[in-house]
Amino acid sequence: MAKIGVFICHCGENIASKVDCTKLAAAIGEHPGVEVSVEYKYFCSDPGQESVKKAIRDNNLTGIVIAACSPRMHEATFRKACAEAGLNPYLCEIANIREQCSWVHTDKDMATEKAMDITRSMIEKVKRNNKLQPIEVPVTRRALVIGGGIAGIQAALDIANAGQEVVLVEREPSLGGHMAQLSETFPTLDCSQCIMTPRMVEAAQHPKIRLLTYAEVEHVDGYIGNFKVRIRMKSRYVDIDTCTGCGDCMTKCPVKKISNEFDCGLGKRTAIYTPFAQSVPNIPVIDKTSCIYFKNGKCKTCMKSCQINAINFDMKDEFIDLDVGAIIVATGFQVQNTAGYGEYGYGKYPDVITGLQFERLASASGPTAGKILRSSDGKVPETVVFIQCAGSRDPSKGVRYCSKICCMYTAKHAMLYSHKVHGGKTHIFYMDIRAAGKGYDEFTRRAIEEDDASYLRGRVSKVWEENGKLMVRGVDTLLGKPVVIEADMVVLATAMVPQPNAKEFAKIIGIAYDEYGYYNEAHLKLRPVESSTAGVFLAGACQSPKDIPDSVAQASASASKVLALFSKEKLEREPVVAATNEITCAGCWGCVLACPYNAIEKKDIFDRSGRLVKRVASVNPGLCQGCGTCVTFCRSNSIDLAGFTEKQIFAEVMGL
Amino acid sequence: MITQEKYRTRVKELLANNSVKMVIGYKQGSTADRRRPLFVRSFEEADELVLDSNCIGNLAGYLVTEGLLSDEKRVGIFLRPEGIRSINILAAESQLNTEQIIIFGFDTSGREVKALQGEQAGDFSGLIDSLKEKPPEKSSDALLYRIDQMNTEERFAFWKDEFSRCIKCYACRQACPMCYCRRCIVDSNQPQWINTSSHTLGNFEWNIVRAFHLAGRCVGCGNCDRACPVNIPLRFINARMAQEVFESFDHYAGTSQTQEPVLASFNKDDSETFIL
Ligand SMILES: Cc1cc2nc3c(=O)[nH]c(=O)nc-3n(C[C@H](O)[C@H](O)[C@H](O)COP(=O)(O)OP(=O)(O)OC[C@H]3O[C@@H](n4cnc5c(N)ncnc54)[C@H](O)[C@@H]3O)c2cc1C
Ligand code: SF4
Ligand code: SF4
Ligand code: SF4
Ligand code: SF4
Repeated sequence: MAKIGVFICHCGENIASKVDCTKLAAAIGEHPGVEVSVEYKYFCSDPGQESVKKAIRDNNLTGIVIAACSPRMHEATFRKACAEAGLNPYLCEIANIREQCSWVHTDKDMATEKAMDITRSMIEKVKRNNKLQPIEVPVTRRALVIGGGIAGIQAALDIANAGQEVVLVEREPSLGGHMAQLSETFPTLDCSQCIMTPRMVEAAQHPKIRLLTYAEVEHVDGYIGNFKVRIRMKSRYVDIDTCTGCGDCMTKCPVKKISNEFDCGLGKRTAIYTPFAQSVPNIPVIDKTSCIYFKNGKCKTCMKSCQINAINFDMKDEFIDLDVGAIIVATGFQVQNTAGYGEYGYGKYPDVITGLQFERLASASGPTAGKILRSSDGKVPETVVFIQCAGSRDPSKGVRYCSKICCMYTAKHAMLYSHKVHGGKTHIFYMDIRAAGKGYDEFTRRAIEEDDASYLRGRVSKVWEENGKLMVRGVDTLLGKPVVIEADMVVLATAMVPQPNAKEFAKIIGIAYDEYGYYNEAHLKLRPVESSTAGVFLAGACQSPKDIPDSVAQASASASKVLALFSKEKLEREPVVAATNEITCAGCWGCVLACPYNAIEKKDIFDRSGRLVKRVASVNPGLCQGCGTCVTFCRSNSIDLAGFTEKQIFAEVMGL
Repeated sequence: MITQEKYRTRVKELLANNSVKMVIGYKQGSTADRRRPLFVRSFEEADELVLDSNCIGNLAGYLVTEGLLSDEKRVGIFLRPEGIRSINILAAESQLNTEQIIIFGFDTSGREVKALQGEQAGDFSGLIDSLKEKPPEKSSDALLYRIDQMNTEERFAFWKDEFSRCIKCYACRQACPMCYCRRCIVDSNQPQWINTSSHTLGNFEWNIVRAFHLAGRCVGCGNCDRACPVNIPLRFINARMAQEVFESFDHYAGTSQTQEPVLASFNKDDSETFIL
């Protein structure tokens, strides 16, 4: 016999002002199976919870309904109270009479009626609830960090410094990401390489970090605490263990005119190369597409030049299979391809460059050794025009969002230019100056006040060449006048966009992404570093445009989430998981495909003599996240979700 | 007649060298223009095979009869293009292995019967792709044309009226090659989501649920409405679902045995970013 306790909460005035709780308690007291029906001002308070526990013990209740606020608020609180009173926590249900009733209605009588319906429906459900036990899963205490930019490095170091193992995977030949390309960094103007390189070295040498560069994650299987990943080690053609990084091979390589990606095409590199002088590890790779040997089978000059025989042209891609317990995705961003901006002449005029190219010009280790020079004629530009929001906040070019960093780095560029070229003139076209952050507004003010940057509020409509000058036509909206500026160089603050393969990569990992390809957090405000998949966390600019301080902060936050996960040997999971009915399952495998967490497997059923009788679907409870997708898919109704079974939901609906 | 003879000979050939254990075809039915299924295991039975323009039923559903294919022996079957599509869907839904099925493909125009080239499901992919390219003319069927012209209320009233006659005999389900579940949702009574009595609500629930279960799977063979004893034009509901699915997901049911079920699969070009 059901003995249900119903506890009706006033929530101060939140519920009581619109729902007649006394009347509700009396009506519910009449409902079949209800043993206790009481009201109280705040059941979530200490005395409130005590009274619930006492009622459970005194009346030997078989289930309870708390008629109160959304289960999102206090379901956990009341389940815990149940457990303390000796009742299985899954025999507790919440009837939401606040968000779904008192807050949205004005007529007290009708609201009271509705509260009765909501409560009755939950009583009918709880009568059919089953005792559920939490699921325990083991945890592999090893983290995988994907992406070796500042975010990935920070996360890896934090986890490793706490004593846990980390595998750090970077697809390029060296660690560093975009930060390694930058000159000096806002808002403090410290040299990017100088603060970045020690971090890269620390990560590479840390005894708890296994660094895999020139490597890519191919496949991810498994679930929180128990992921199985396959990593492709792309063949470098240079043996990483014997190479000393002397660089002889690079000096000898006859192919010298390959546009250098790290310098954004402003410099040149050889076919066997390291991306930059401070690369970590300092071991070259052979770029197969430009190497002469891979084209026509002749050359091997580098191999001959190597004193210790570290070069091996027969090397093949290798695969490493790893068990990890948590994954941090820190795959960063790209700058938008500016080819879509014909009106700004990018690609047509060599002196129209992107902000990232300007960073390389301004960088002491860059192609010009830190001098700001025009690519066309090698001269020092006397006037530079910066165009902000070149791509960002422009729906017609597909980017509606603000890239967040361009206001700041453009101010930085203007400053660096004025420090390097005395008497040089800068003009900055902007829409708004967005400089929210510690020391940020002060920084842009400094560019204006001390470094004489001239800000023009308005858009640029066209850039063209005339008599060796770049003519920039725009509008100064504050004066309401069109302007034309003669410039020697134009710098476009191009939008930050997700990695081009971001969406495909998200599918490998099994996480969600937004319309652009930025990875989605579980909750924008309350769970900003968790992805939608348990055990997978996000760090840095792969989630949204971010500067270095934000990327580092998020990386440390992700690391702390991973460490919290690793603090226990076993993980307790909510037992809300699906299970199939092997008798009725038709074996169509639709659910196997539909499950977003790959939690459903095919299972063979044999008879006693070992003959295959049929093949059915079977849910792995460790993987199942209880989303219910499979339940809605199965045509033969052969899947049920614990805690939300068909019978329970049916009773709930019929109780209305 | 020529095709019929050709296929009879081929059936005998396959039976003689044990390449198939059975061939499912058509024979003379209870009236002159009716054909009924024939399960050929011997030469004598092969002589009963009939192939003419009256052979309209889709025989694919017989293949998933429990136990028929579990000995991994081959079975031959006479199929129209829709039937071949059914085979592909059944294979895609893991109900059969196409290698076990020898197809005697045919199509008719007017009274003429023509043999289709090929014996394995994969041999017909060119044909099916060409069908996908040119869907049948809507105006070719007067009733379908009429339904298409109706506005939402009229259409609702039309189907309500049609469904009101349903007697819940489930002949449509038995006849449909796609309705192979061991236990249909209507037979599940714990809880009973679908009312079994034949009143308007229950009839609506049943017919709409079946339409949804066939979304992206129906091949328009018409078995269901030929089976319906009260002549509800069922295939038009399913045809409409097929059209919606085609327009939204470019999915034409049964193009290949590896085609993913449209409602269970997720594609990065889908309008939603997640399957939920
Ligand atoms: C022109 C410009 C100037 C800037 N100036 C400043 C500044 O002055 N101050 C400031 O605070 N910020 C600045 N920023 C922003 C700064 O660059 C970013 O905040 C920072 O680089 C983000 O770090 P990240 O690690 O998230 O991404 P990234 O630096 O992009 O690193 C991502 C790493 O992941 C790797 N990766 C990608 N995909 C995979 C994969 N599938 N598998 C393995 N590895 C992968 C990449 O190769 C890369 O190494 C500037 C940005 C630009 C464009
Ligand atoms: S969807 Fe249903 S019938 Fe199909 S395999 Fe899954 S559980 Fe079985
Ligand atoms: S409820 Fe079903 S679809 Fe959702 S995760 Fe579990 S098994 Fe997969
Ligand atoms: S629903 Fe009707 S028309 Fe469609 S495949 Fe089934 S029997 Fe054929
Ligand atoms: S065959 Fe016709 S009458 Fe029978 S259940 Fe189907 S729709 Fe109803």
